Amino acid sequence: MARALPPEWEVEVFFANDGLEGLEVIRQGNGEVVFLDLTMPNLDGYGVLETIRKEDLPAMVIVVSGDIQPDAQTRVKNMGAMAFIKKPIDAEKARAILTEYGIMAGGADDH
Amino acid sequence: MITERVSLTEDQRDCYQEIVNVAMGQAADRLARLLDAYVVLPIPQVNLIEANDLHMAIQGAEDNHAISSVCQGFIGSGIAGEALLLFNDTSFEDLATLMNYSGPLNRYGELELLMDVSSVLIGACIQGIGDQLGIHFNQGHPVVLGQHCQVADIVKSGNHQWNKTLAIEIHYTLEHVNIDCNLLLLFTEDSVAKLNNKIDYLLD
Repeated sequence: MARALPPEWEVEVFFANDGLEGLEVIRQGNGEVVFLDLTMPNLDGYGVLETIRKEDLPAMVIVVSGDIQPDAQTRVKNMGAMAFIKKPIDAEKARAILTEYGIMAGGADDH
Repeated sequence: MITERVSLTEDQRDCYQEIVNVAMGQAADRLARLLDAYVVLPIPQVNLIEANDLHMAIQGAEDNHAISSVCQGFIGSGIAGEALLLFNDTSFEDLATLMNYSGPLNRYGELELLMDVSSVLIGACIQGIGDQLGIHFNQGHPVVLGQHCQVADIVKSGNHQWNKTLAIEIHYTLEHVNIDCNLLLLFTEDSVAKLNNKIDYLLD
Protein backbone atom coordinates (compact mmCIF):
# COMPACT_ATOMS: atom_id res chain seq x y z
CA MET A 1 0.00 0.00 0.00
CA ALA A 2 2.70 2.45 1.05
CA ARG A 3 4.44 1.95 -2.29
CA ALA A 4 1.27 2.91 -4.13
CA LEU A 5 1.19 6.35 -2.52
CA PRO A 6 2.38 9.27 -4.61
CA PRO A 7 6.08 9.77 -3.71
CA GLU A 8 5.73 13.55 -3.64
CA TRP A 9 2.97 13.39 -1.04
CA GLU A 10 4.64 14.68 2.11
CA VAL A 11 3.04 12.79 4.95
CA GLU A 12 4.15 10.69 7.83
CA VAL A 13 2.97 7.12 7.41
CA PHE A 14 1.98 4.93 10.35
CA PHE A 15 1.39 1.21 9.96
CA ALA A 16 -0.97 -0.94 11.96
CA ASN A 17 -1.05 -4.72 11.94
CA ASP A 18 -4.74 -5.07 12.68
CA GLY A 19 -7.90 -3.14 13.38
CA LEU A 20 -7.24 -2.60 17.07
CA GLU A 21 -3.79 -1.18 16.42
CA GLY A 22 -5.24 0.97 13.68
CA LEU A 23 -7.82 2.45 16.05
CA GLU A 24 -5.07 3.28 18.56
CA VAL A 25 -3.18 5.19 15.87
CA ILE A 26 -6.34 7.06 14.95
CA ARG A 27 -7.19 7.84 18.60
CA GLN A 28 -3.70 9.28 19.00
CA GLY A 29 -4.50 11.65 16.18
CA ASN A 30 -2.12 10.01 13.72
CA GLY A 31 -4.71 8.78 11.28
CA GLU A 32 -6.08 11.77 9.51
CA VAL A 33 -6.27 9.77 6.30
CA VAL A 34 -6.69 6.04 6.80
CA PHE A 35 -6.16 3.34 4.21
CA LEU A 36 -8.22 0.55 5.69
CA ASP A 37 -8.12 -3.13 4.80
CA LEU A 38 -11.29 -5.12 5.45
CA THR A 39 -9.76 -8.51 6.09
CA MET A 40 -7.73 -8.22 9.29
CA PRO A 41 -7.22 -10.21 12.48
CA ASN A 42 -8.62 -9.15 15.87
CA LEU A 43 -10.84 -6.42 14.47
CA ASP A 44 -11.76 -6.27 10.80
CA GLY A 45 -12.32 -3.19 8.67
CA TYR A 46 -16.06 -3.14 9.31
CA GLY A 47 -15.36 -3.08 13.06
CA VAL A 48 -12.94 -0.20 12.61
CA LEU A 49 -15.46 1.80 10.60
CA GLU A 50 -18.13 1.14 13.22
CA THR A 51 -15.85 2.31 16.04
CA ILE A 52 -14.74 5.40 14.13
CA ARG A 53 -18.38 6.36 13.72
CA LYS A 54 -19.38 5.47 17.28
CA GLU A 55 -16.50 7.40 18.84
CA ASP A 56 -16.69 10.11 16.21
CA LEU A 57 -12.96 9.79 15.53
CA PRO A 58 -11.31 12.25 13.14
CA ALA A 59 -10.38 10.06 10.18
CA MET A 60 -11.01 10.12 6.46
CA VAL A 61 -11.23 6.47 5.55
CA ILE A 62 -10.36 5.01 2.18
CA VAL A 63 -11.05 1.29 2.14
CA VAL A 64 -8.45 -0.79 0.30
CA SER A 65 -9.66 -4.32 -0.15
CA GLY A 66 -9.58 -7.46 -2.21
CA ASP A 67 -13.24 -7.93 -1.32
CA ILE A 68 -14.65 -6.62 -4.59
CA GLN A 69 -18.24 -7.77 -4.06
CA PRO A 70 -20.57 -4.90 -4.90
CA ASP A 71 -22.13 -5.39 -1.47
CA ALA A 72 -18.83 -4.75 0.30
CA GLN A 73 -18.42 -1.41 -1.43
CA THR A 74 -21.97 -0.32 -0.64
CA ARG A 75 -21.61 -1.36 2.98
CA VAL A 76 -18.37 0.48 3.70
CA LYS A 77 -19.68 3.63 2.05
CA ASN A 78 -22.82 3.42 4.18
CA MET A 79 -20.58 3.05 7.20
CA GLY A 80 -18.78 6.26 6.45
CA ALA A 81 -15.90 5.28 4.17
CA MET A 82 -15.06 8.00 1.70
CA ALA A 83 -13.78 5.84 -1.15
CA PHE A 84 -13.00 2.27 -2.11
CA ILE A 85 -9.81 1.11 -3.83
CA LYS A 86 -9.67 -2.43 -5.18
CA LYS A 87 -6.64 -4.60 -4.58
CA PRO A 88 -4.22 -5.09 -6.24
CA ILE A 89 -3.71 -1.37 -5.86
CA ASP A 90 -3.20 0.73 -8.93
CA ALA A 91 -0.96 3.67 -7.96
CA GLU A 92 -2.66 5.92 -10.52
CA LYS A 93 -6.09 5.20 -9.00
CA ALA A 94 -4.78 5.98 -5.54
CA ARG A 95 -3.42 9.29 -6.79
CA ALA A 96 -6.67 10.10 -8.58
CA ILE A 97 -8.71 9.52 -5.42
CA LEU A 98 -6.36 11.57 -3.24
CA THR A 99 -6.55 14.42 -5.71
CA GLU A 100 -10.29 14.12 -6.24
CA TYR A 101 -10.99 14.50 -2.53
CA GLY A 102 -8.44 17.24 -2.15
CA ILE A 103 -6.43 15.45 0.52
CA MET A 104 -3.11 15.39 -1.27
CA ALA A 105 -2.29 18.77 0.25
CA GLY A 106 -1.26 17.21 3.54
CA GLY A 107 -2.22 15.20 6.57
CA ALA A 108 -1.07 12.11 8.41
CA ASP A 109 -1.84 8.66 7.22
CA ASP A 110 -2.10 5.17 8.51
CA HIS A 111 -1.98 1.58 7.28
CA MET B 1 12.99 -36.13 -7.33
CA ILE B 2 14.86 -32.96 -6.47
CA THR B 3 14.33 -32.12 -2.83
CA GLU B 4 16.15 -28.93 -1.97
CA ARG B 5 15.08 -27.64 1.43
CA VAL B 6 12.07 -25.43 1.12
CA SER B 7 11.23 -22.73 3.61
CA LEU B 8 9.00 -19.71 4.04
CA THR B 9 9.96 -16.37 5.60
CA GLU B 10 7.43 -14.13 7.33
CA ASP B 11 7.63 -11.59 4.49
CA GLN B 12 6.97 -14.31 1.96
CA ARG B 13 4.03 -15.57 3.98
CA ASP B 14 2.56 -12.04 4.14
CA CYS B 15 2.99 -11.69 0.41
CA TYR B 16 1.26 -15.04 -0.26
CA GLN B 17 -1.57 -13.93 2.01
CA GLU B 18 -1.99 -10.69 0.08
CA ILE B 19 -2.02 -12.49 -3.26
CA VAL B 20 -4.51 -15.05 -2.02
CA ASN B 21 -6.57 -12.29 -0.46
CA VAL B 22 -7.00 -10.67 -3.86
CA ALA B 23 -7.63 -13.97 -5.66
CA MET B 24 -10.19 -15.20 -3.14
CA GLY B 25 -11.92 -11.82 -3.33
CA GLN B 26 -12.30 -12.26 -7.08
CA ALA B 27 -13.64 -15.77 -6.56
CA ALA B 28 -16.03 -14.57 -3.86
CA ASP B 29 -17.28 -11.84 -6.15
CA ARG B 30 -18.11 -14.42 -8.81
CA LEU B 31 -19.90 -16.61 -6.27
CA ALA B 32 -21.75 -13.65 -4.77
CA ARG B 33 -23.08 -12.70 -8.21
CA LEU B 34 -24.03 -16.30 -8.98
CA LEU B 35 -25.95 -16.74 -5.73
CA ASP B 36 -26.98 -13.15 -5.16
CA ALA B 37 -25.62 -13.38 -1.62
CA TYR B 38 -22.79 -11.90 0.40
CA VAL B 39 -19.69 -14.02 0.86
CA VAL B 40 -17.82 -13.53 4.13
CA LEU B 41 -14.10 -13.42 3.45
CA PRO B 42 -11.69 -14.85 6.00
CA ILE B 43 -7.96 -14.34 6.43
CA PRO B 44 -6.36 -17.02 4.27
CA GLN B 45 -4.07 -19.43 6.07
CA VAL B 46 -0.71 -19.99 4.40
CA ASN B 47 1.52 -22.72 5.77
CA LEU B 48 4.38 -24.89 4.73
CA ILE B 49 3.51 -28.25 6.20
CA GLU B 50 4.40 -31.89 6.06
CA ALA B 51 2.05 -33.53 3.60
CA ASN B 52 1.26 -36.13 6.24
CA ASP B 53 0.03 -33.41 8.62
CA LEU B 54 -2.39 -32.05 6.10
CA HIS B 55 -5.49 -33.27 7.90
CA MET B 56 -4.40 -31.41 11.03
CA ALA B 57 -3.99 -28.18 9.11
CA ILE B 58 -7.55 -28.19 7.90
CA GLN B 59 -9.79 -26.02 9.98
CA GLY B 60 -12.62 -27.97 11.48
CA ALA B 61 -11.33 -31.23 10.07
CA GLU B 62 -11.80 -32.79 13.47
CA ASP B 63 -15.51 -32.00 13.39
CA ASN B 64 -17.27 -35.09 12.28
CA HIS B 65 -19.64 -33.50 9.86
CA ALA B 66 -20.07 -35.07 6.46
CA ILE B 67 -18.52 -33.38 3.47
CA SER B 68 -18.40 -33.74 -0.27
CA SER B 69 -15.19 -32.99 -2.08
CA VAL B 70 -13.87 -32.12 -5.50
CA CYS B 71 -10.25 -31.69 -6.55
CA GLN B 72 -8.72 -30.15 -9.62
CA GLY B 73 -5.07 -30.06 -10.62
CA PHE B 74 -3.39 -27.05 -12.15
CA ILE B 75 0.00 -26.53 -13.75
CA GLY B 76 1.93 -23.71 -15.40
CA SER B 77 5.49 -22.31 -15.58
CA GLY B 78 6.82 -25.37 -13.81
CA ILE B 79 4.51 -24.83 -10.86
CA ALA B 80 1.97 -27.50 -10.08
CA GLY B 81 -0.65 -27.99 -7.48
CA GLU B 82 -4.01 -29.31 -6.56
CA ALA B 83 -7.10 -27.41 -5.51
CA LEU B 84 -9.34 -29.23 -3.09
CA LEU B 85 -12.83 -28.06 -2.24
CA LEU B 86 -14.32 -29.51 0.93
CA PHE B 87 -18.01 -28.71 0.97
CA ASN B 88 -20.08 -29.12 4.10
CA ASP B 89 -23.00 -31.43 3.28
CA THR B 90 -25.42 -29.43 5.40
CA SER B 91 -24.93 -26.57 2.94
CA PHE B 92 -26.71 -28.20 0.00
CA GLU B 93 -30.24 -27.24 1.01
CA ASP B 94 -29.54 -23.50 1.10
CA LEU B 95 -27.31 -23.74 -1.95
CA ALA B 96 -30.13 -25.37 -3.92
CA THR B 97 -32.47 -22.56 -2.91
CA LEU B 98 -30.03 -19.83 -3.94
CA MET B 99 -29.28 -21.55 -7.24
CA ASN B 100 -33.01 -21.97 -7.92
CA TYR B 101 -32.40 -25.68 -8.27
CA SER B 102 -35.74 -27.42 -8.37
CA GLY B 103 -34.70 -31.02 -8.99
CA PRO B 104 -34.52 -33.69 -6.29
CA LEU B 105 -31.69 -33.12 -3.83
CA ASN B 106 -30.23 -36.60 -4.07
CA ARG B 107 -26.60 -37.55 -4.74
CA TYR B 108 -26.87 -36.48 -8.35
CA GLY B 109 -28.52 -33.18 -7.60
CA GLU B 110 -25.90 -32.45 -4.98
CA LEU B 111 -23.15 -33.36 -7.40
CA GLU B 112 -24.45 -30.89 -9.95
CA LEU B 113 -24.51 -28.09 -7.37
CA LEU B 114 -21.08 -29.06 -6.06
CA MET B 115 -19.57 -28.93 -9.55
CA ASP B 116 -21.09 -25.51 -10.20
CA VAL B 117 -19.70 -24.03 -7.00
CA SER B 118 -16.30 -25.66 -7.34
CA SER B 119 -15.79 -24.49 -10.90
CA VAL B 120 -16.45 -20.90 -9.80
CA LEU B 121 -14.37 -20.97 -6.63
CA ILE B 122 -11.46 -23.03 -7.89
CA GLY B 123 -11.33 -21.52 -11.36
CA ALA B 124 -11.44 -17.89 -10.25
CA CYS B 125 -8.99 -18.40 -7.40
CA ILE B 126 -6.36 -20.21 -9.50
CA GLN B 127 -6.70 -17.65 -12.25
CA GLY B 128 -6.47 -14.80 -9.74
CA ILE B 129 -3.24 -16.12 -8.29
CA GLY B 130 -1.80 -16.83 -11.73
CA ASP B 131 -2.64 -13.34 -13.00
CA GLN B 132 -0.78 -11.69 -10.14
CA LEU B 133 2.29 -13.88 -10.56
CA GLY B 134 2.32 -13.82 -14.33
CA ILE B 135 1.64 -17.53 -14.65
CA HIS B 136 -0.92 -19.07 -16.93
CA PHE B 137 -2.24 -22.11 -15.10
CA ASN B 138 -3.79 -24.89 -17.12
CA GLN B 139 -6.46 -26.67 -15.17
CA GLY B 140 -7.16 -30.36 -15.27
CA HIS B 141 -10.60 -31.90 -15.12
CA PRO B 142 -12.35 -31.75 -11.77
CA VAL B 143 -12.50 -35.07 -9.96
CA VAL B 144 -15.04 -35.94 -7.30
CA LEU B 145 -13.15 -37.34 -4.33
CA GLY B 146 -16.20 -38.35 -2.38
CA GLN B 147 -19.69 -37.53 -1.26
CA HIS B 148 -21.00 -37.75 2.28
CA CYS B 149 -17.65 -38.67 3.75
CA GLN B 150 -15.29 -37.35 6.43
CA VAL B 151 -12.40 -34.93 5.91
CA ALA B 152 -10.08 -37.63 7.20
CA ASP B 153 -11.20 -39.99 4.44
CA ILE B 154 -10.25 -37.42 1.83
CA VAL B 155 -6.87 -36.23 3.05
CA LYS B 156 -5.52 -39.15 5.03
CA SER B 157 -4.94 -41.37 2.07
CA GLY B 158 -1.23 -41.75 2.88
CA ASN B 159 0.91 -42.55 -0.12
CA HIS B 160 2.00 -38.94 -0.66
CA GLN B 161 4.49 -38.22 -3.38
CA TRP B 162 5.84 -35.14 -1.63
CA ASN B 163 6.99 -34.46 1.91
CA LYS B 164 6.39 -30.76 2.24
CA THR B 165 3.53 -28.87 0.71
CA LEU B 166 2.60 -25.22 0.63
CA ALA B 167 -0.95 -25.30 1.87
CA ILE B 168 -3.30 -22.35 1.46
CA GLU B 169 -6.65 -22.63 3.15
CA ILE B 170 -9.62 -20.38 2.55
CA HIS B 171 -12.73 -20.89 4.62
CA TYR B 172 -15.67 -19.42 2.74
CA THR B 173 -18.99 -18.82 4.45
CA LEU B 174 -22.10 -17.01 3.30
CA GLU B 175 -23.95 -14.45 5.30
CA HIS B 176 -27.44 -15.30 6.62
CA VAL B 177 -27.49 -18.74 5.04
CA ASN B 178 -25.95 -22.04 5.99
CA ILE B 179 -23.30 -22.50 3.34
CA ASP B 180 -19.70 -23.16 4.18
CA CYS B 181 -16.78 -24.77 2.49
CA ASN B 182 -13.01 -24.95 2.65
CA LEU B 183 -10.87 -24.36 -0.37
CA LEU B 184 -7.39 -25.82 -0.08
CA LEU B 185 -4.65 -25.05 -2.54
CA LEU B 186 -1.72 -27.41 -2.28
CA PHE B 187 1.51 -26.81 -4.15
CA THR B 188 4.04 -29.54 -4.73
CA GLU B 189 7.33 -29.36 -2.89
CA ASP B 190 9.21 -28.76 -6.15
CA SER B 191 6.96 -25.81 -6.96
CA VAL B 192 7.58 -23.94 -3.72
CA ALA B 193 11.07 -22.70 -4.59
CA LYS B 194 9.84 -21.37 -7.94
CA LEU B 195 6.84 -19.73 -6.31
CA ASN B 196 9.08 -18.16 -3.67
CA ASN B 197 11.25 -16.70 -6.43
CA LYS B 198 8.23 -15.02 -7.95
CA ILE B 199 7.14 -13.78 -4.54
CA ASP B 200 10.62 -12.38 -3.82
CA TYR B 201 10.46 -10.50 -7.08
CA LEU B 202 7.22 -8.84 -5.94
CA LEU B 203 8.73 -8.06 -2.55
CA ASP B 204 11.70 -6.23 -4.07
